[in-house]
Amino acid sequence: MEIKIKTKNNILIITLKGSIDSKTAPEVQQKVLESSVNSKNVIIDLTSVDFVSSAGLRVLLMLYRQIKVKNGKVVLVGVSEEITDIMSMTGFINFFEIIDTVENALNTY
Amino acid sequence: MEAKKITYSYVASLDVLESIREMLTQAGNDIGLSKRKTYQLTLAIDEIATNVIKYGYQEAGISDGFFDLIIEFKEGELIVSLEDTATPFNPIEHSLPTEEDLNIPLEERPIGGLGVMIARQSVDEFKYEFVNNKNRNIFIVKTN
Repeated sequence: MEIKIKTKNNILIITLKGSIDSKTAPEVQQKVLESSVNSKNVIIDLTSVDFVSSAGLRVLLMLYRQIKVKNGKVVLVGVSEEITDIMSMTGFINFFEIIDTVENALNTY
Repeated sequence: MEAKKITYSYVASLDVLESIREMLTQAGNDIGLSKRKTYQLTLAIDEIATNVIKYGYQEAGISDGFFDLIIEFKEGELIVSLEDTATPFNPIEHSLPTEEDLNIPLEERPIGGLGVMIARQSVDEFKYEFVNNKNRNIFIVKTN
């Protein structure tokens, strides 16, 4: 699992690579929540994420909560058909903005 | 296709999840199962295997647990059975989140409880049996 973090125009961009399962999710959750603690606006780039289980959804849920209390926004980028399926099945899809590229996501702020 | 049955054994550790996904992806590819169906099968098994490892064994204080995945190729079906000797747990008796539950805003949602629903909905048929003191979760995917 690879986690890369940068900021652009005061927006935090977190790029994840690998699989988010119950083995890797605790580390991803800790890094994602820690790095976004002072951010209101976060983009998560999932382009290179090949697998997301319910443990991965939990990471998105925790991030959503942390950002929501600050009236911020979480945008997901590079969401594969498979990740779209699991997000639809669980109703998560309705709470996130999903955009095709990081460039276009930056333009939504 | 000739009926074929292969058994794989795993120690009850979250470390094995990745190799299970790789093995199942290979099995799906070998029989020409679509990418989407193959992924959904790996997801379903990942969710149940996680529960078996974390709750069936680790939380029950069993450190040397193991489980088997038995793969059967039949005419028009790929059947994967997950057999473990952990605490009996029937995912079919587990109540699933309702449509209403799934519309609860994420800030108010209970954390967890989605794995079993995801597993059951990601395969064509899901069965549970308790036989010879073993849990047997059966995942069936139609291959044509």
